[in-house]
Amino acid sequence: MITDEVRRVLSTAIDAYRDQPRTAHFLRGQLDRLDSPLRVAIAGRVKAGKSTLLNALVGDSLAPTDAGECTRVVTWYKDGPSPRIVMHPLLGDPVSLPVVRRAGALEISLGDAQVDRLVVDWPSQSLRHTTLIDTPGIASLGFENSQRAVRFLTPDDETPTEADAVIYLMKHLHSSDASFLESFRDQGVARAAAINTVAVISRADEIAGGRVDAMISARAIAARYRTEPALHGLCQNVVAVAGLLAHTGRTLTQSEYTFLASLADGPREDLESSLLSADRFASGSEERAALLRRFGVFGIRLSATLIRQGVRSQAALAEELVSRSGLRELQRVLQTQFGERRELLKARSALLALDRVLRTGPGGGGRLAGEVERIFAGTHEFAELRLLSALRSGVVALPRPMALEAERLLGDSGIAPSVRLGLAPDASSGELRQTAFAALRRWQAHAENPMFGRRSADACRVLVRTCEGLLTR
Amino acid sequence: MTTTPIEAVDRALAAIARYDRPDLEARLRQARARLADDHVRLLVVGEFKQGKSMLVNGLLGAPVCPVFDDIATSVPTVVRYAEQPTVTLVREEARIEVPVDQLPAYASEAGNPGNRERLDHIEVGIPRPILAEGLELVDTPGVGGLGSAHGAATMSALPSADAVLLVSDASQEYTAPELEFLRNAVSVCPNVACVVTKTDLYPEWRTIAQRNQTHLESVGIKASFFMVSSTLRWHALQTGDQEVNKESGYPPLVTYIRKKVLGEADSLARRSTAHDVHAVIDQITESLRAEQAAQSDPASAAALIDRLTLAEQRAAGLKERSARWQQTLSDGVADLNADVDYDLRDRMREIVREAEEALAAGDPTKIWDQFSKWVQDAAASAVSANSVWATQRARWLARRVAEHFDSEREQMLPSLQTASSDPLRSVREMSLRADEKWGIGGRLLTGLKGGYSGLLMFGLLGTVIGLSLINPISIGAGLLLGGKTIGDERKRIVQRRQNDAKTALRKYIDDVTFHAGKDSRDILRAMQRDLRDHFTTLAEQLKRSLQESIQAAQKSVKASSADRSTRLEELAAELAALEKVRQEVTP
Repeated sequence: MITDEVRRVLSTAIDAYRDQPRTAHFLRGQLDRLDSPLRVAIAGRVKAGKSTLLNALVGDSLAPTDAGECTRVVTWYKDGPSPRIVMHPLLGDPVSLPVVRRAGALEISLGDAQVDRLVVDWPSQSLRHTTLIDTPGIASLGFENSQRAVRFLTPDDETPTEADAVIYLMKHLHSSDASFLESFRDQGVARAAAINTVAVISRADEIAGGRVDAMISARAIAARYRTEPALHGLCQNVVAVAGLLAHTGRTLTQSEYTFLASLADGPREDLESSLLSADRFASGSEERAALLRRFGVFGIRLSATLIRQGVRSQAALAEELVSRSGLRELQRVLQTQFGERRELLKARSALLALDRVLRTGPGGGGRLAGEVERIFAGTHEFAELRLLSALRSGVVALPRPMALEAERLLGDSGIAPSVRLGLAPDASSGELRQTAFAALRRWQAHAENPMFGRRSADACRVLVRTCEGLLTR
Repeated sequence: MTTTPIEAVDRALAAIARYDRPDLEARLRQARARLADDHVRLLVVGEFKQGKSMLVNGLLGAPVCPVFDDIATSVPTVVRYAEQPTVTLVREEARIEVPVDQLPAYASEAGNPGNRERLDHIEVGIPRPILAEGLELVDTPGVGGLGSAHGAATMSALPSADAVLLVSDASQEYTAPELEFLRNAVSVCPNVACVVTKTDLYPEWRTIAQRNQTHLESVGIKASFFMVSSTLRWHALQTGDQEVNKESGYPPLVTYIRKKVLGEADSLARRSTAHDVHAVIDQITESLRAEQAAQSDPASAAALIDRLTLAEQRAAGLKERSARWQQTLSDGVADLNADVDYDLRDRMREIVREAEEALAAGDPTKIWDQFSKWVQDAAASAVSANSVWATQRARWLARRVAEHFDSEREQMLPSLQTASSDPLRSVREMSLRADEKWGIGGRLLTGLKGGYSGLLMFGLLGTVIGLSLINPISIGAGLLLGGKTIGDERKRIVQRRQNDAKTALRKYIDDVTFHAGKDSRDILRAMQRDLRDHFTTLAEQLKRSLQESIQAAQKSVKASSADRSTRLEELAAELAALEKVRQEVTP
């Protein structure tokens, strides 16, 4: 419904701007965007593991990865009927490039061309609902690469960014990470950003020097960051993911499993001592070196332990690896945070774009601007998003327990009614009604509380409406 | 040579004890004190979570610094030699000893988050052979964490270090901030080595190391490279497996520290000691030789005395020349003072300019937290950059001054220790004056005031044309004026807050400039005094030795021939003894 309304406004706007082909073209792009998948950008410092995580999410070795700095241009990966690579140069028309895969990964040679972006079409189930965008690392030595990423994510020429949501990768929270997230909040997607950013502690397997309990440590660190006040206002959630492990788990082959099983069945001491260092393990055997590249020291250690504990098939091992890598958790978070709100996020991006055009464009925006304003102000979902972001960044202050309940009711951890009310997913409709009613009463009382300031009272009224909405469902 | 520099000085002291030259003895004593107190500071720096503490532990072969999966080190830890393990907390003036097992509670982020205890640093003493030669390892908190004030502190510690190890792990090549740090380190510190850690975890570490080297070459930095794995080293230490130890890459690093860092410091110490000892003994031998010549041939004594008087005049000339070098020194220091001050003020002005732009944009109370943090960080990094620059310039000046002296030996510079102090510690934090409340009540009152006058004004006008005092026009005017008064009041309050914030900002920057300026002036003045004293004493000692020679020669003219032959024998023996000591001390 919100989408329909936005579509209507956009069509009117295109009509109004039909004598300005560039603006009309831009708006038509926004209209198309409403029907295309959600665009999620993967950003982070150099070598944070962006391409690896992208591969893990797609479940294929699409993005090239390397020991050195690898991704140099913004690359879009989207679903398509057949594999196709199109290069968009800064000047001139798009050029199709040949699709070459070497050892699984795509090989793209750009030459010296000044490239704006690459678009890769790939038939894949995982890309159907989200288009993934790989970006060059921030704080890179190649200053230009890093500028490209920053420009893409927070363009300064007054157009909203092209990504609807962002997965931000970091190894540990570095000050440049924080300042980047902050700049992301200030500009571009603006007005409410904490709600479309998820931070990921990538390369989690390396945190504890590759010990078998590395993931437990990584999760504990993620939990600490989740409660870090500085980060609370900058992103919605923090998850620990071992990207390499996840990618390998999703693409595990039978021969790899057989080789691992033979390693695990050998004498335990031999394996332990050869796993002391990567060099020891890989020495003299091309097969072992290849395995190491795919798994990392932690991956091999974990797989051997798992096989010894009785995980005895390729499918079961793949399953275990994926679930232990934290990828599932990330996918769940992406689903609740981005997936369920897809339409809303896309509508918001489109409206923001239209708003900019109306504000900066020459005249004629009066009625349309009013319309945009009406949708922004009148749609309860937007009010919820705004309040959620305001609560997270501390602009609206509520007592701690109330704030937590408010965030949950606003759909911070998922927008299904049972999640919002903090009930089990299979709660009966009677139970749902009862809890919703109790919540409604509570927030009505809060809204009348004379001790709250105007903003807090307004916040309570938004929540009252949310509870009413839950009751009518 | 097998004698340590301290032993050499002791021998020389014993040898000259009979000549009653307190000035020369004082010089040797000073050299001895300097030797005894000499530590070689090895700074271990890098971004956080690169394995700095593990590296220190690996070098020591003992779990000294706390290691943790999450961010660990929060306070700089200085590890040096001690007979018994000790842990001392150093806080501004106070030194507190605590039990050894409490170290993690103070040094780690978990026990002492963000250095809540406000410790300067922690000193750990342990009995380890590698430390026995005067090595001092400094484990620093990682740079680049959220509270990145650490970074500025690490920078300001650079000039006082004898060597720096930059630690980065093998997961990625150097980032822009790391390279920037290296560039600074190389410019102020003689020994900079790059250590790539965690080679056990990353199969591609060779490629990474290769790339790092290329990066360094491309910016023209020369530094030694080491690839190490602390995990392997630890395993080797526990099992005593030499093979693994070799694989860990630690042995070359330990050799580097022993040979290059310690060795260089040692040879420097030897050179300066040998120089001191030689100078002292030469002066005594010269007066003995003069006496010997006079005793053996009284006829030529007159000529000798003439020659010596000439030499004495030359020494006086050295003093005269001192006028020239003192001129250079004082001019140089004055210039340097002006330059350093200008540089500091320029940096600060830039900060103030940027900050005022930010303040002008809106209500400063809303952005105050972020704003004050930004200002403090910017000031800290400006101050440390300024002090690094000042140190560089000061050393350059010292070399210029030394050029005024003729011989190599006279050009020997005293070691210029620039104490690393943190001038920002005594600066009060930037704070905004508590704001007056302007709540609903205040707003209502202001509005009422404006509204009342508006109502009265237009009401009275209305009565002229026969309307009542309270009519729709006067009520409307009252509301309008009331609203306007509230708006004006709000504008006024924001403006006042902006002014307050500007005042606070300027006060803070003034404070920083004052303290940092004082700090750099102090360093320069201390350096000027050191240099002046050094060269003046040199000239005076030379003069006194020559005077003694003249006296001895004059005395010998009057002595009898029997006395003369015994004295000659004595002289030969003394000269031989002194020559022996001189031979023993070679640079």
